[in-house]
Amino acid sequence: MLKVYINPEIVMLNDKPLAHNEKGAALLTELYRNYIGDYPKFFKMDTLSKLGFVASELLLQAEGGTRFEPREDRAIVFFNRSASLQADTAYQATIQDKENFFPSPAAFVYTLPNIVTGEIAIRNKYFGETSFIVFPEHDSQIMAQQLQLAFLDPMTTSILSGWLDCTDENHFEAELFIIYKSNL
Amino acid sequence: MDELIYTLKQQIIEALNLEDMKPEDIDENASLFGEGLGLDSIDALELIVLMEKNYGIKLKDPSQGKEIFKSVAVMADYIAKNRTK
Repeated sequence: MLKVYINPEIVMLNDKPLAHNEKGAALLTELYRNYIGDYPKFFKMDTLSKLGFVASELLLQAEGGTRFEPREDRAIVFFNRSASLQADTAYQATIQDKENFFPSPAAFVYTLPNIVTGEIAIRNKYFGETSFIVFPEHDSQIMAQQLQLAFLDPMTTSILSGWLDCTDENHFEAELFIIYKSNL
Repeated sequence: MDELIYTLKQQIIEALNLEDMKPEDIDENASLFGEGLGLDSIDALELIVLMEKNYGIKLKDPSQGKEIFKSVAVMADYIAKNRTK
């Protein structure tokens, strides 16, 4: 199974480490510059979206095949426990001070965890199902059940899925994989 | 006015996270939306916030943005005439 793992210090693609110099949010920018590029929208994203974007790009590049053609048969189902906490905190900072009260629209639009599924869907022209499920702890059983439910949709033949959590720019974890209906 | 235009470019780059761009890269007469810098509707809202935060200009009608944000030069001209900060 294709898989990618990213935390502030480690990047693994299919259990092989990817070389890098940076840590934390700077690591995500380094991965973007080295492996993706040419997508300036990346710099407008919150950290959770940057994490999901970079992790999914590494995974999808490893998958190979035709990309960026519209398709409805690939779902995106992510899980975490922190929802959009980092984006919420960033937005809160723009409205915290009564004397300096300037709500940021660009920060506000990321204050829902499922925005990252939208960013990936837009990038890849996925028009299938997308979900972001939040629950208290990483639970493989619940995740497996949710993926089984996702495959009940007859249109869905594969799912880009996994754990995607971020509390701030130095605390995040992505463990993504692609699961195919044909492998069940 | 040149100084205001340069400062405005810096502020736009910072506010809109235009990474890898310098003020020299922005043509003050080029369209900010569409073909020029390719900004979107969220960027337009951020520019409205920028005008209030940095220049004390509160737009009564957000749809005024369409004319004011035609280019950096047009925006700077509006700011010069209406700023309270």
